[in-house]
Amino acid sequence: MPSSFLALTSFKDKYSTSPSSFQVSSGREVMENSVSLQESSLAPSNGTLGNSSLSPSIVTDHMCASALPHVQHSHNPAFISQSSRDLASLLPLDASFSQSTASLIHTQGNKDVSWSLDRLQMFLDLPENTPAPNQLVESSTSVLASEDHNKKTNWQEWADDLINVVDPDWSKILDNTNVLNPRVELPKPSGDISKQQPQFHQNQLVPHGEFSSHAYPSSTAPPTKPRMRWTPELHEAFLEAVNQLGGSERATPKGILKLMNVEGLTIYHVKSHLQKYRTARYMPETSEGTSEKRITSIEEMKSIDLKTSIGITEALRLQVEVQKQLHEQLEIQRNLQLRIEEQGRYLQMMFEKQKKVEDEKGGAPSSASDDLLAPLPGSKHPPCNNGKSDSEALEQDHSRTGIGPGNAGTNEDKSSSGVSTKQKMPETESTVHDESGFSVSKRARTEK
Amino acid sequence: MAAEPTKYGKAKAEFVYMLNNEINKFNVFFMEQEEDFIIGHKELQQRIKTVMDKWSSNGSRTEYNDEMAEIRNDIVDFHGEMVLLENYSNINFTGLAKILKKYDKRTGGLLRLPFIQKVLKQPFFTTDLVSKLVKECENIIDEVLFPIEEDKEETKEQKGAIMVATEPVKGIFRNTVVALLTMEEIRRVSSTKDHFSLPPLNLPHSHLIHSFQLNSPIPIL
Repeated sequence: MPSSFLALTSFKDKYSTSPSSFQVSSGREVMENSVSLQESSLAPSNGTLGNSSLSPSIVTDHMCASALPHVQHSHNPAFISQSSRDLASLLPLDASFSQSTASLIHTQGNKDVSWSLDRLQMFLDLPENTPAPNQLVESSTSVLASEDHNKKTNWQEWADDLINVVDPDWSKILDNTNVLNPRVELPKPSGDISKQQPQFHQNQLVPHGEFSSHAYPSSTAPPTKPRMRWTPELHEAFLEAVNQLGGSERATPKGILKLMNVEGLTIYHVKSHLQKYRTARYMPETSEGTSEKRITSIEEMKSIDLKTSIGITEALRLQVEVQKQLHEQLEIQRNLQLRIEEQGRYLQMMFEKQKKVEDEKGGAPSSASDDLLAPLPGSKHPPCNNGKSDSEALEQDHSRTGIGPGNAGTNEDKSSSGVSTKQKMPETESTVHDESGFSVSKRARTEK
Repeated sequence: MAAEPTKYGKAKAEFVYMLNNEINKFNVFFMEQEEDFIIGHKELQQRIKTVMDKWSSNGSRTEYNDEMAEIRNDIVDFHGEMVLLENYSNINFTGLAKILKKYDKRTGGLLRLPFIQKVLKQPFFTTDLVSKLVKECENIIDEVLFPIEEDKEETKEQKGAIMVATEPVKGIFRNTVVALLTMEEIRRVSSTKDHFSLPPLNLPHSHLIHSFQLNSPIPIL
């Protein structure tokens, strides 16, 4: 199999409990280099493995091309494989994407995990079947959903068999792996699949990722996995449980899980969260002993960054000011964007209704407008007040002329999102009859 | 949207697939960071409480000052990081919107509107929680950390002037300034402005922000 063998390892310094343990972390660095880095270091000691030859391979081009913000390099980038590790190779990919697919290995009983959460997530863009609490993302179904079932039970067994899941991020992967397999089956036939299935040990879990150009969900919805999304309330419950159990060091994930008693929360979620929590506590504690040194270094930093005459407090103040400003602007921008999209949706709905009505009635403008007037004002609530009045103006336009430039707002103030969209409406109305598609934006541009 | 069994349909499916991958990446990163922030926020509150308690019972002024100084620094940076996450969310959304717009323009398709509706609901764009944390952080900063009142506006300009002459700015502060400048840049009047575009940005103290010396993050050799 001419696939390239790469093992992606991602890790974070503060997470490593031993020099040889790697875990996926969240960070902001881009991890392009690691792919090539691992290529040479991959020399798994497979001699002791009982299985037939398997080798890890990771998607290269596509993943390298995009920034992965949450993977960091650690000081020890070697790929460590141990005797109990089993490596599985996956299907070759379509040439348009890359030559290989990702394989991720998790072995029970050892702390070395080599994988990339990012990569996996890219593969796991299929609907997921396990619910998670507090998650705001609904999973959308894809064509592959129907095939999930036969594979689901397999993965559940593997997941259940895993006891020492060290890297808690795996949990999310594991929860989602049940949807991976069908993808593996779908595209280019490869004899490897059938060979690999029986190779799974009870102790091993190999989530397969497939990167194919053929298996696409037909819906336009982004196929999100219902990932665990923590909330402050949930965190409070977590803290309570931890404190009851005697502190972050003494509390065990299992105990916490039991105490929290939250439906849908898995031990993997708790594990990863506990890890984060421990790290967050550990750092300030270590710094307390060296607080004086820290302060002088902070002072130096600040004085280098910003003139000494300003002083730390002033530098901090300035920083806060600028940050506050950015926050404010972001809020404003986000609200604007929301309203713009809302208007766009409203517009489209109205155009579609009008089209539908015209198709049905076929040239009776006045009755068309009656139909329009009836459902719209009640069913939809425009985000701003002038939205309503303008929509009524539009409908009146329809009744008068069927199509034609209206008098919707002479307000040129573009900073009001609602008004600017209304302005376009009269111009675009005239185009609705010209083409069947709804291409407001295109027309608006050309008319401008 | 029905899947057209044509070459166009396949290309479209490919495109959507790639977009979905990106969105997943955003979501994953965002939720990881969000979780960290939830934890960090609580920890900061705890630290402040501890220091306050220690001071009220013990009374060592210098120790209090030292520890508060450290907390002050950490909180400001924490605030900055959260705001930068919001920026991450927004920039990616803007990027997606632009990509979709371009796609529709190039292919005459109607992908943009329904797709963006779904993007709006994605975790990475539902930043309410982060926003709330930011506000709470600002409250803490205002109330607890900067109790000393100062003369305001005239000195601000003064400080700004002094800033100009300094070394390049680094770190979170730098990224924040860059974010503001980028936002300004993106929203400048463009040739493809339509009713989906954002209006130009008017920043207060924009001259101040522009005056910062920002070095490139990537060393230019």
